[in-house]
Amino acid sequence: MDEKTRDEAAKDNFRQEPKVGVYVCHCGGNISDIIDVKAVAAALARYPGVAVAREYAFMCSSNGQDLIAEDIKNLGVNRTVVAACSPSLHELTFRNVLQRAGVNPYLHEHINIREQASWVHKFDKAGATAKAIKLAQAGVEKVLRKDALNAIRVAAEQRVAVIGGGAAGMRAALSAAGKGLEAVIIEKGPALGGKLLELGRLYPSGEEGAAVAGKLEALVRADSRITVHTAVDIDFVSGFVGNFKINFKKADGRSEQVKAGAIVMATGYEHYKPAKGEFGYGEDANVVTLPEFIALMKNSPAGRLALAGKEIKSLALIHCVGSRQVEGVHKPQADGKINDYCSRVCCTAALHTVNQLKDKYPGVRVYDIYRDIRTYGMQHEEYYDKASKDGVLFMRHNEADQPVVASDRTGHTVKVKDVLTWGEELEVKADLVVLVTGMMPADISLIKSQLKLPSSADRFLQEVHLKLRPVELANSGIFVAGTAQYPMDVTEAMAAAGTAAAKAAILLAEPDIPLEPFVAVVDEHKCTGCGLCPPECSYDGALMMGEHNGKKVAVVNPALCKGCGACVAVCPVRAINVAGWTLDQFDAMVDAIAKE
Amino acid sequence: MSKKILIITTNHSSYPGADAVGQARMGYSANTYIIRVPDPVMFPEDFYLRAFDRGIGGIIIMSSGSDCPYEGAYERLSKRVARVYEQMRAKGIAANRLKLTTICTVCRAAFLKEISEMEKAVAAV
Repeated sequence: MDEKTRDEAAKDNFRQEPKVGVYVCHCGGNISDIIDVKAVAAALARYPGVAVAREYAFMCSSNGQDLIAEDIKNLGVNRTVVAACSPSLHELTFRNVLQRAGVNPYLHEHINIREQASWVHKFDKAGATAKAIKLAQAGVEKVLRKDALNAIRVAAEQRVAVIGGGAAGMRAALSAAGKGLEAVIIEKGPALGGKLLELGRLYPSGEEGAAVAGKLEALVRADSRITVHTAVDIDFVSGFVGNFKINFKKADGRSEQVKAGAIVMATGYEHYKPAKGEFGYGEDANVVTLPEFIALMKNSPAGRLALAGKEIKSLALIHCVGSRQVEGVHKPQADGKINDYCSRVCCTAALHTVNQLKDKYPGVRVYDIYRDIRTYGMQHEEYYDKASKDGVLFMRHNEADQPVVASDRTGHTVKVKDVLTWGEELEVKADLVVLVTGMMPADISLIKSQLKLPSSADRFLQEVHLKLRPVELANSGIFVAGTAQYPMDVTEAMAAAGTAAAKAAILLAEPDIPLEPFVAVVDEHKCTGCGLCPPECSYDGALMMGEHNGKKVAVVNPALCKGCGACVAVCPVRAINVAGWTLDQFDAMVDAIAKE
Repeated sequence: MSKKILIITTNHSSYPGADAVGQARMGYSANTYIIRVPDPVMFPEDFYLRAFDRGIGGIIIMSSGSDCPYEGAYERLSKRVARVYEQMRAKGIAANRLKLTTICTVCRAAFLKEISEMEKAVAAV
């Protein structure tokens, strides 16, 4: 498929004399109870460049939208400023009004006088009104300097590459295929299933992890739209939204390439591996991690729980091993960072395992040593209740007083400064110590560095916005599913995978992908070809020096540019700007705000 | 010089953070003017100096910090702000009239604290 980009035919109404319509919303009384909206509209009506200024009860209502459309039709308004609620709620609503009325939708500016004025200045009505006037005037200055923009359209491969073939990866591929797309699973392990294969009975259904993996794999194998590559090593990933290329080596040494319009990162997690000596781990065979204990339980006969032939009559669980680590208390990882995040799922997993243990081996004494029990999720608290009723003894320590494990020939003694008994120093004897280890992100450093994927402070992949865009990375066309994003259980990972696949399907619904036009643009007349801007760009191929009409100029690839503006700041002649967010616009806004 | 405080926020992080303050109906003074950008890394040094020259009392840059979705942008921004401080010093502009900070989508208390501190800085000039 061609890697072409093309612009839609531009509407030409931005060439007309600017006529700004300003619309001030009452938002019921949310705004107008504090801000004198009539005074705001009156002040704006007198402002240079403004053709009309109105106030209305609900600008977002059909009637409010019609007011704008009528002014466009009857008064020739060709740019709008709406002073209302946050743009996160209705900026798109008003852009669409302009579009429907035949005006370029990007000739609109949304001013927030609710969340950032009336709701926060309720004891200063005059100040809030003066501020609203200034913000609206700044909005007028900005919109006067806006250019008509058109969504960038990129031809796209109608295929999703799913990196990782665990629970999330298989679910994402199935969901994408269910929406009519081709999906390719690229898995480094020898088989599909990932960590699901290691898990015992899953909460809440009680199904074995391997059984769930088997069901998913059967569905994947039966779907002709899904291709599976296992035991492969990804060596190079490149491209941009609509046109990614994933190169990998197969077990037989042959190289292969998958082209895809979108990528779902379902690269999963690794178990935290305790350091040698951490609570005795690695020094004593009877100190194991929770995943190791789950494997032990799976392989133990009913009636007698034993490790290396020795019966286990008592065990102590220690929570938060490798998660919620504290600076100065815990040793950092190889990269110098501590895992200060909560690994979320381990409390529930530990209690679910303990409940299975007590069902299978009711005589085993269990001590559960924790900082906090965080059994979030539907009915997960019941696992705690059941464990309590079954006689599990809970002890709680604070973050500075970590439990201490001392071992001798008779077993382990775990010492705890227990907050539940107001700091009593308790000692329990245990045949086995189980360390409830957390999740760490899988090592995907090669893919991360080649695609410039953002990581959170916890080193997991970072979504754009946890609530508003929860499975999208800042890199257009790349989505995240499952524990590559943060610790989550199988249920959550499956849900995230379905969401990621749906987002990919929406993106690839048409052969051409429309992209927001907020990318760097170069004014070739101003550009002196100095070459200062490309080194500022972190995205390979997004900004390079090239030649146009025999002149050396900076050239932007709009499909690769993320629109951060790092290049903008270094241009000595302001030849490069982020479309829709230019320096001249911001200077004019500052002037309007500063003016007395 | 006015007592006006210019607050530069990011689309992804601190602008929603400012919205969160409003949604919680917390209060701060009305001499604060929030503008939003994809990332403040786009502003050259002279943008800040020009704003002071026009009469802006204080500027708070509320970046996305480690949550920044743009590769390398925060590092570039912090280096640039260090250069702005040098130029402010040369022009005799008090350093505490400019603050680079990180505000997340739910950092309500931190948002208010930054404004409160800048209020004091602006009042002292």
